[in-house]
Amino acid sequence: MGEASLASTIFDRESAVLGRYLLVLCIALLGTGCASKQVVVEGNFPTPLLDPLPVTLGVIYPSAFAQHEFFDEAKGRAESDWLVKTGEAQVEFWDILFSGMFEDVVHIRDWETVQSRGADIDGVIIPAIAELQYTIPTHTNVKVYEIWMRYQFRLVDVSALHQQEDGALSFNPEERLATWPITAYGKTPTAFLQTDEEAVNLAAVVALRDAGAHFVTTFGANPGVATWLDGIAARQHNGIGPEPDVGGAEGSRNMDEGSPAIAGDQAATAETAKNGSSSPAEDAVGEAISSAETSGASS
Amino acid sequence: MSTGIIWHNIKQWVGPGLCALLLGGCVNATVNEMTYNEPVAGIGESSVVILGRRHAPDYDTEFDFIQCIGDHIHSGDPSIDVIGEIAFINEFYPWFEPRTAPMQPETIDRLLQLPPVAERFAAMQLEYMIWIDGNTVDTESAGSMSCGIGPGVAGCFGFGTWGTESEYEATIWDFTDKVEVGRVSAVTSGQNYMPAVIVPIPIIAPVQGTACDSLGDQLLEYLSAHH
Repeated sequence: MGEASLASTIFDRESAVLGRYLLVLCIALLGTGCASKQVVVEGNFPTPLLDPLPVTLGVIYPSAFAQHEFFDEAKGRAESDWLVKTGEAQVEFWDILFSGMFEDVVHIRDWETVQSRGADIDGVIIPAIAELQYTIPTHTNVKVYEIWMRYQFRLVDVSALHQQEDGALSFNPEERLATWPITAYGKTPTAFLQTDEEAVNLAAVVALRDAGAHFVTTFGANPGVATWLDGIAARQHNGIGPEPDVGGAEGSRNMDEGSPAIAGDQAATAETAKNGSSSPAEDAVGEAISSAETSGASS
Repeated sequence: MSTGIIWHNIKQWVGPGLCALLLGGCVNATVNEMTYNEPVAGIGESSVVILGRRHAPDYDTEFDFIQCIGDHIHSGDPSIDVIGEIAFINEFYPWFEPRTAPMQPETIDRLLQLPPVAERFAAMQLEYMIWIDGNTVDTESAGSMSCGIGPGVAGCFGFGTWGTESEYEATIWDFTDKVEVGRVSAVTSGQNYMPAVIVPIPIIAPVQGTACDSLGDQLLEYLSAHH
């Protein structure tokens, strides 16, 4: 009786443990198909090899930009949810690019910065990510991970910035100097011992670098930007304006040439002409820039 | 199952496996070369950079292949200074990205109009810029393999085979004269085998490695005074 009871206890215990293991295994197997994958994009971004334009540029990173992420829900059990956070990498990358491209960069995150540095600032740039798409081999059966982004840049005069009653920053769209889109594409092939997350991160870094290359080579080609640069050059030439003529003739020449626009000028002009005016919805997004929504340290 | 049938089954799979062992690893390589103005005395203190083309929508020239060619040239003649590709691209960002990289040697002059770019090139004493375009792909596959797992035993049984093809072209630019001075191409192909009798044994044809050696040898012959 005692032996039977002991055997029964052992059997019950083993079956219970076995059952628990099987349950965990089943959950793990089921979970594998629908586990979410998360990527916080990070990379080492190089400083651009440029002669900085003699311009003091204000930069506002709206919160939607500085904390940008995209989420793609799995469409089947074989797929995974994807959450890709690009915000930190965006701010890091564009900070490096702007710092290499312009002589002085001022991060504007509140009205105090506008008041204290406004006289020095030649213009304020406000980047936004209008669209982002990605593909992975599971989606396309092609052994390539791809990321495509479309940015919308707005350039405004510092005088167009206003403080709302709640303290948030906003700007008058009629005082906008220029708006233009920048597209960027990054791809990376599949590689042995490379996870999906690593490949998506690499594709995002390639896309960011491409965005920077596109920005640098088409910046001066935008008519609004060209007019703005000409105006700064003329002010500096006449000794009027926020900045002394540190660049002299060379600085003026650089700006007149639209900076180092070597490739893609025509394509950029065509793209600008096509998408030069943003939709009312986009303007509405761009007009109000809450101080709480902006990010980046003031420099 | 009788011993005869088992032996017959083993022979059926071991036979092709042994053949694969004998035949595996064979790679066909075709190399074409057309070069001008060879530096008879070598390139001296100057340096060379080898870059991959990555502007095509459907493929990228592999970074490790570029590294392989650079290593091959440097190990063949240690006096040749080969600049690392990633370091070069980062130092000249954004001028050698897929979107902005010069496609013709004449366009280098436009790059050199930028003072910081010109200064950095001068500091590097760059003599030759070599562009590699191409990639390695797996082609048709055949065969089947089954794997099983049981209490205390696991194994695979079967035979698989697939092809691999590499096609690369190196274009040599003389950086001083801003002209193209040669093209070298290598097309290699091979068949890979994977026999499995309990344990799968991959017999991989070194297709990309052969392409690297072939291109590397030709480039070394062009650049080095000792080859």
